[in-house]
Amino acid sequence: MLILARKVGEAIIIADNIKVQVLENKGGLVKLGVDAPGEVAIHREEVYLRILEENRKAAMDTQADLSAFTDVFPLKESVEK
Amino acid sequence: MNVLNESTNPATIVQTSRFGEITVDQDRVITLINPFLGFSESTRFLLRPHSPKSPFMWLQSLDNPELAFVVIAASILNLDYRPPVPAQTLKDLQITSDGEQDILLILTIPRDNPQAMTANLLGPVVLNSNRRLAMQIVLDPNKYDPCWPLFADKASGKKKS
Repeated sequence: MLILARKVGEAIIIADNIKVQVLENKGGLVKLGVDAPGEVAIHREEVYLRILEENRKAAMDTQADLSAFTDVFPLKESVEK
Repeated sequence: MNVLNESTNPATIVQTSRFGEITVDQDRVITLINPFLGFSESTRFLLRPHSPKSPFMWLQSLDNPELAFVVIAASILNLDYRPPVPAQTLKDLQITSDGEQDILLILTIPRDNPQAMTANLLGPVVLNSNRRLAMQIVLDPNKYDPCWPLFADKASGKKKS
């Protein structure tokens, strides 16, 4: 991992078009400002990992049999056996 | 031998693990602007209903035969769910009015207990069905549940009536 020391107000540049600036550092909470093209997705890591995990779970479990579910679908309130 | 490639919109035969060989009309292919997190190799998908009356649909990857998600349209759920779609996403998907925008929710369905299925409200799929462009967006985790149970309250509430 590349490690760079930066003061508040200083920034780093990634490739030609992404700028990450340290805006504030208060009580262990660091605020970063990111300037990047609109098509570059930026996520908080824990949220990114949460979505990644849920996507993988969803993809893996698709072997489940759905045939029973036309009966129990929540919108079909009146369906009784 | 298949000789289906003569029409103006050539169909392609794609091998899938769940549906076997399927014929894909190129006009119906949905392109992901950004791939699903964790599945960067797949950008072309097909949306197929599970069965004619089922609310479930399959989002089958055309790039990876093993990859398919079960999805459901958010609009048919009994749920007040109007996630804020970023302006950049609307632009990328060429969505200019509300009517062009569909929200699909990816379902996680445990194999041993399908009843416990959950919908991912944190990372919905925004779809422009006219243009056949889609992408998954990531919302605020403080407001949206990645594992929203579809049947939780309703099932227990109804049994005791």
